[in-house]
Amino acid sequence: MTDQDFMHHLGDVSVSIELETEDMTLNIGPQHPSTHGVLRLVAKVDGEIITDVEPVLGYMHRGYEKISEVRTYPQVTALVNRIDWVSGYANEIPFIVAAEKLMGVEAPERAQYIRVILTEMARLASHLAFMGSFPLELGATTPLMYAFRDRERILDLIESVTGGRFHPNFNRIGGVKSNAGAGKTQKKASQDLPAGFFTETLAAMDVVDASCDEMETLVGGNEIFLIRSKGVGVLPADIAVSYGVSGPILRASGVEFDLRKTEDYLPYDQFDFDIPTGENGDSYDRWYVRLQEIRQSARIIRQAIEGIPSGPLRAKVPLIIKVPKGEAYVRAENPKGEMGYYLVSEGGQGPYRLKIRSSSFSNLSILPWILEGVLLPDLLAVMGSLDFVLGDVDR
Amino acid sequence: MEAFGAEFAQAVGASGHTVEHGTLKVRVSNQQWVAAATVGRDDFDLVYLSYVSAIDWANDVAVGDAPEEPVEERFELLAAIGDVTEGRLVHLSTDLPKDGASIATLTDVYPGANWHEREAAEMFNIAFEGHPNLTKIYLPDGFEGFPLQKSFGLLAREVKPWPGDVDVEGLPGDHE
Repeated sequence: MTDQDFMHHLGDVSVSIELETEDMTLNIGPQHPSTHGVLRLVAKVDGEIITDVEPVLGYMHRGYEKISEVRTYPQVTALVNRIDWVSGYANEIPFIVAAEKLMGVEAPERAQYIRVILTEMARLASHLAFMGSFPLELGATTPLMYAFRDRERILDLIESVTGGRFHPNFNRIGGVKSNAGAGKTQKKASQDLPAGFFTETLAAMDVVDASCDEMETLVGGNEIFLIRSKGVGVLPADIAVSYGVSGPILRASGVEFDLRKTEDYLPYDQFDFDIPTGENGDSYDRWYVRLQEIRQSARIIRQAIEGIPSGPLRAKVPLIIKVPKGEAYVRAENPKGEMGYYLVSEGGQGPYRLKIRSSSFSNLSILPWILEGVLLPDLLAVMGSLDFVLGDVDR
Repeated sequence: MEAFGAEFAQAVGASGHTVEHGTLKVRVSNQQWVAAATVGRDDFDLVYLSYVSAIDWANDVAVGDAPEEPVEERFELLAAIGDVTEGRLVHLSTDLPKDGASIATLTDVYPGANWHEREAAEMFNIAFEGHPNLTKIYLPDGFEGFPLQKSFGLLAREVKPWPGDVDVEGLPGDHE
C-alpha cells in the first residue's frame, strides 16, 4: 500500500475516542539500569503516556549531614568525596573553601591551580560518563566504549596525582596534599606533581578534543538519536529556576549562568572560557551543552598548565585543625550543577552543622513536572539527559 | 553585597541582616517568611531557589561538641534564594520554637521547596503548613525520631564506640 492509498483509506476509518482505559500504576526500579543508582519511580500511565510520577528516594541515604557532626574536618573531606562519586574531587572544593574562609587561611596559588586542573578533570570524567551513558539509554552501545576509553585516561591522570580514581581525598585545609612518598628530603616544588604529568595531560586534552569531534558526528549525526532526543523533555528556564535546577540542565534551557564566573572559590577569573547554552531546553540541548563544556574544560586545563606558578602547596595551618566560630555558605559549579555547603562551626574540631546542598537533589525534583505527558519510552531519554547520581541525591 | 543586603532587608522589613564570610543572611519573622521570599522573587529577581534547611541550636547535644558559649534553644530555618545573572544569593533566616515548630510553606513561591521542606520536616520535626505532600522523603515510614536534631544520638556509636576513641590492638611482640 502506498502512502497515498493509506491516507485515502484512513479517511474511511472512524475511531471512537470515547474509549476509556484505566490508568495503570507502573513501578520502575529501585534496581533499574536507567536510574544510576537505586531510585524508585511510581508512575501512573494512561496507555503509553505518563500522567504522574512520584520518585521514591532514600535508598542511598547515608546521613552524611549527621555523620559530619561527629567527624573532624579532615575526616569529613574523605566523606564528601562519596556524595557524587562520578566527580569525587569536585565535591571536596566547596567544603574545604568554606572551612578555609572561617579559618581565614588561603591556599597558595600553586595549590589553587592544581585544584582548578583536578576540578576540571572531575568535570571531564563526569561529562564523559554522561556521553557514554546517555546514548546507551537510547540503545546505542558504541559511544559508551568510546567515552569510557577516554574517561579512563582522565581517571589515570587523577590517580597519578592523588592516588585515587574516584575518591581522591586530596585537598587539605590550606592547600593540597603533597605528593605521596615525597618525604622531608623532597620538598622542591618540582616534586609535587608526578613527572611528566603536564605532558601527559596535554596529550590527553588533545584526545578529549578529538573525542568531542567524534561524538559530535557519531552521536550528534545519528538520525535515531536526534529523533529520540530533540523536543523530548522540554524544560523552560522559568520552571527550571523555580525548582532550583542548576548546571548544564539550566544552561541547556538558555540561562547563561555559571558559578565559575560569579563565585570566587577558585581563580577562574584568570582563565578564558565560554558558557555554552542551549536554545530549546530539550534532551538534545542538554547533551550538546555538556559536549561543549568538555571542550571548555580542556581549554581551562591547558591554560592552567601554561600559567601554573611555582611555590608551596599548603599554607601554614596548625597540626590539629580547629575552625573558629562562624558560619559560611560556599557554593561551586560542579559538573552536575550547584554544590554548596553551609558550614556552621562552634570552634570545635568538627562542624557543628553541615548542610550539604547537592545538585542532583534539586535537579531530580523536576522529574514529576518534566515527565508529565511524556511517552513511556521517552522516560529513559529524559532521565538520562538529566544526568543525576543517586549518591548526590540522597547524600 | 552589603548595600544589596541593606536594600533587600529594608524592602522586606527584616529585623536585620549580616554579611559573614561572603554569606548574606537576612533575618525575618515567621509571619514575614513567605512574603519576604515573594518580594525577593518578584522585586529583586531572586527567582532561583537553592535550598531550604534548618539548624538545631542546642546546648545539650547527644553527638559531637556542644557550643562553646550557651546558645538560645531554637531551630533556625534557612532558605537560600538567588538570581541567575549576577550570582547574588540571600539566606532568609527565621527562628522557630522547638516545641511545635510550624511555618507556612514556600512551595507556592518556589515549587522546588517541596522536597527540601519534606527533608527538613522529617529531619527536624518542623511542620510546613499548606505543603502539598508532607510525607517522609528519605526515612522509612514509621521511623521514630528526628535524626538531625542535636538530641538524636547515633545508635551505631552507642552500640560500638568509634574505633578512633579506643586504643588499637597492640603490635606483635608488644604484649607483656
